Amino acid sequence: MITLDLSKCSGCSRCEVNCSFFHSGKIGRSGSRIKVVKIEDIGIDYPVVCQQCRERYCTKCPEKAVEVGALGQVIISPTLCTACGTCEVMCPIGAIELFEEIPHVCDLCGGDPRCVRACTLDAISFEPDLTEAVSLKEFKKGSRGRDPEQKRLRYVESGAEQLRQRWLAERRG
Amino acid sequence: MLHGYGGHILRVDLSSGQIRREKTDPAYMLDVIGGRGLNSTRLYEELKRDIDPLSPQNLLLIGVGPLTGTLMAASAFMTISGKSPLTGILGDSAAGGHFGAEMKQAGYDQLVMTGCCEKPGYLFIADDHVEIRDASHLWGQDIWQTTAAIRRELNDNAVQVAAIGPAGENLVKYATVACNNSRMCGRTGMGCLFGSKNLKAVAVRGRGRLTVADPPGFLELCRELDQRIMVHPEYEKRNALGSTLLMKALNGIGILPTRHFQQGLCDYVDKVSGETLAQKYKVKNKSCFNCNLHCSRYYLTREVEAEGPEFETLCSYTSRIGSDNLEFGLKMNAFLNRMGLDSLSSGETIGWAMECIQQGLLTQDDFDGLDLTWGNCRAVEKLLNMIIRREGIGAAFAEGTRSLARHFGQGSEEYAFHVKGLDMICGDPRGIKAFGLTYAIASRGGDHLRAEPFFELTERYDEAEKRWGIREIADRLADRGKAVLVEHTERQALLTDCLTMCKNIGLSMDIMDFEFASQLLQAGTGLNFTPDKIDAALKGVINRDRKMNIDFGVTADQDTLPKRFTSEPLQEGASKGQVVPVKRMVAEYYKIKGWDKDGVPGD
Repeated sequence: MITLDLSKCSGCSRCEVNCSFFHSGKIGRSGSRIKVVKIEDIGIDYPVVCQQCRERYCTKCPEKAVEVGALGQVIISPTLCTACGTCEVMCPIGAIELFEEIPHVCDLCGGDPRCVRACTLDAISFEPDLTEAVSLKEFKKGSRGRDPEQKRLRYVESGAEQLRQRWLAERRG
Repeated sequence: MLHGYGGHILRVDLSSGQIRREKTDPAYMLDVIGGRGLNSTRLYEELKRDIDPLSPQNLLLIGVGPLTGTLMAASAFMTISGKSPLTGILGDSAAGGHFGAEMKQAGYDQLVMTGCCEKPGYLFIADDHVEIRDASHLWGQDIWQTTAAIRRELNDNAVQVAAIGPAGENLVKYATVACNNSRMCGRTGMGCLFGSKNLKAVAVRGRGRLTVADPPGFLELCRELDQRIMVHPEYEKRNALGSTLLMKALNGIGILPTRHFQQGLCDYVDKVSGETLAQKYKVKNKSCFNCNLHCSRYYLTREVEAEGPEFETLCSYTSRIGSDNLEFGLKMNAFLNRMGLDSLSSGETIGWAMECIQQGLLTQDDFDGLDLTWGNCRAVEKLLNMIIRREGIGAAFAEGTRSLARHFGQGSEEYAFHVKGLDMICGDPRGIKAFGLTYAIASRGGDHLRAEPFFELTERYDEAEKRWGIREIADRLADRGKAVLVEHTERQALLTDCLTMCKNIGLSMDIMDFEFASQLLQAGTGLNFTPDKIDAALKGVINRDRKMNIDFGVTADQDTLPKRFTSEPLQEGASKGQVVPVKRMVAEYYKIKGWDKDGVPGD
């Protein structure tokens, strides 16, 4: 899975840019499968990407178009997918989002994730042996009715708390 | 299909609410490139010269570069332009952050705003959707509150917001516009221009994707650009400290403005240096869109937390006003960013007042009883609050140092350090002669970024010989050859501005040149941007800027520096005994440009 060291992320979005370019030859947040959420008021920059969660909510696809690959990545069959949006709705953290009728989710670039290469601060890493290590149960509750951007923000607000506490302890005792 | 570019120019008349989308014309872009070149040309063609800058007829432009928002690193800036409320001449200011890329991905190369909102409003752009929304409930809120409130009400945290604070609303002449809370379009009062149009913010969301003409070729060039940045000898230091490294660097060469340029040496520099800041307050790096230098920083003090500061703010609120209180400087950075006030211009008004008191020209009583002695942080904070609200003496300060000194007279004008009404930056020109020339001739007034002739600080003598055949160009204290350098880097600076690229990287780190830009532009846009074509476009913009400024009333005798820098030698440090022979340098500069002795371009 893709892991993060939040304390190192500067919010440059190079992961986003390179993800989008690798997958489509075009550049834009919409075309990216990793999306940086920024909360300027508290200094947080947080790339949100598929956590390969234990629950695998996205596999509850009515068309059975969603599979889990050998690296733990989510694979969406372009022939079976009808762009119904169930996977987008099911993901509690906004890591899957439809764009131009295609669900965009991290596919690990076939084992050489471009976001990891693009990050010059070592904030993003790829740990191939780590999968289904994270539970997103706590984010599932209350995620219904929120769009992916809102779900990402909610996830980030909670995930950033630990780092904030560290900063406060370091700088304000 | 037009690659690289957003593809549209958006025209909004804020008075009537009329909105028009025009297609970006590739042939036109070949002559102006984008960003500042595009903005300047728009002003040249469409701005009525003799208008009051605060009138609805003034244009308010936001321009973005042709490759901004793509794979090209360090080109995240956006440029805001118009007739400056502070100086009355050409005004523009650029900032990084994430607004520029978002605007491009929404499909726009330039926003052209005219008129004035009937009541406070903000412009919201989401791809093809454009509307002027009510901002009555946001009026009075600071920039951070406004940014967060707009994202909340649009229910979308990914919206990028360029907003003004109370200073802009109250038409303080050097009010700023900020995106991402802390990325400031700081100079020439573009926030005041927003305020005059009752425009609280521009919010943009782009769900489109940008294309490039030759994706594999462009990718290769972008990798080379990444590499040039990563292997640069100053990478580590710039990454750790950003521009705050200049506190010690400038002090080392005796040109760190201290007590309002009375000294170039600050004996307490270690208390207020970038190094100390990083060690005691920094918690992590911050970055503009798609930059691999990550030179900005997030910090926490006991009282505040914020992004920044850049060197100019740090120096303005420490040594320049005679204060050794770093925490106060950091507090003011956060405060000014919230309120939307330029740190350089506000810092100069304060430095001027402190010096006038010291010299006995004015007294505490002239300033509503404020005890403006060196480093009196309490008085400074109080005064800033008065400036932002235009209360009492704050109203005179809100007009900028040139006007402020005229208001008081009694010889105080001599200590108003501005060129053409724009307050001078932090860097004593006496020890950096090419910068001195730059301040004198810069088309927006007393500022370094129009040419950023950083080369003179590098001591690369052989390289100077190779590039220009004049070794002294690499010697900061020499004046010989500096007009040649400035004429060259003025074009290079404009090139980075047209690409809305970061000057620290493009210019100070000497990473962008005409050849490389040509390759990037051709692979990115598919248009025939040869080095010659680029150079012709740049020269065209520079000459048009000059002609426009002449229309605004600029004359050759304004291409100069305040008296201190031309006739009072520095007293100590590594630039001891130096002044700027500005007259000679300006004359040489005109000659190289092919302008006549009055600084008027030929054709």
